[in-house]
Amino acid sequence: MSQAKAEPTSTSYAESPYEGRLIRLRAREPEDEQLLHEWFNDPEVTEHLALRYPLSHRTERGFIERMSEVRYGNASFAVETLEGRMIGGCGLEGASPENRSATLGIAIGDKAYWDGGYGTDTMRVLCRVGFEVMNLHRIELDVYANNKRAIRVYEKVGFQLEVTKRKALYKFGQYHDIHIMGLLEGELKLED
Amino acid sequence: MPQPLQGELIRLRAREETDVDHFYRWINDWQVTKFLGARYVQSRKFESEWLASGDPGPQEARFVVETLDDQKPIGWVGLHPGFPENRTAGLGIAIGEHEFLDGGYGTDTMRTVCRFGLEMMNLHRIELSVFDWNTRAIRVYEKVGFKHEGVARDAMWKANRWHQLVHMGLLRGELR
Repeated sequence: MSQAKAEPTSTSYAESPYEGRLIRLRAREPEDEQLLHEWFNDPEVTEHLALRYPLSHRTERGFIERMSEVRYGNASFAVETLEGRMIGGCGLEGASPENRSATLGIAIGDKAYWDGGYGTDTMRVLCRVGFEVMNLHRIELDVYANNKRAIRVYEKVGFQLEVTKRKALYKFGQYHDIHIMGLLEGELKLED
Repeated sequence: MPQPLQGELIRLRAREETDVDHFYRWINDWQVTKFLGARYVQSRKFESEWLASGDPGPQEARFVVETLDDQKPIGWVGLHPGFPENRTAGLGIAIGEHEFLDGGYGTDTMRTVCRFGLEMMNLHRIELSVFDWNTRAIRVYEKVGFKHEGVARDAMWKANRWHQLVHMGLLRGELR
């Protein structure tokens, strides 16, 4: 290095990509186990998730162990408020370097934060990490067709409904449709 | 006597390590793999190990497709179930021998493997995705009863361009 380069001054570089208006993403820690165990055994939280069976503390500890190293193929995060209270988790899984695509998952486990824009802000921060940190071209997600609130949030941040897999999920005694929604580079909406 | 693995032109059988010659040829033939998700050339060793990697079963049902009249291997097909609760499997198919791309072999293979999935594996749904430009395959899938469920935009990068993936699904009772 012959001479020091000036630090980039664009707003997006000056701010942490992991921080939004209401939340920030951080790596998962063993201390998160108690809350995760509580949330993911709560039927109100798991209603729209691909979870069916009770989860033990051991399983949660193993999950955190596997997820605590954040890397390209396994970008998994705890969601916390800017004050540092953990309210959920999210991640971009299975990133493919050739396709530059990954699958998004999100759950706000603390029901006190279900309204008020925390989910929307988490989506925006996570997608920004996907595009700006991971250099993804496409982010996709599965959502149960009856989860209208989540679909509204996904559409608000720019996701498009692309596929409806008919009767692809069996839960609560019947089959349900699953939507695939997709967001491409340049489509993320950072403002409401 | 029911013949669950047999169609009008083809039958399905388990993969054997002795299939390595044709599988090695097919997986390294761009005229075969251009229709598939596969990207990289493969060694004989890799193919041989893959062929030895398990008999058809409830977790994964991979088959060799061979002609009924002279037992010539012409391709492969597989059903890949996800969570058993959903009774759904993904389907993958390839005809490796070019001269069997026409003549109804693909259609007969699709019907046979879907019938196997529904009747023998007790699936409720079979799904697949296909490049939007692969109109010949899409016509076959439509003909046997698959319905269009949507298009995933820019879902795959292959050979210097983005591809749109058409998703199709077949439910119990829809197979023709």
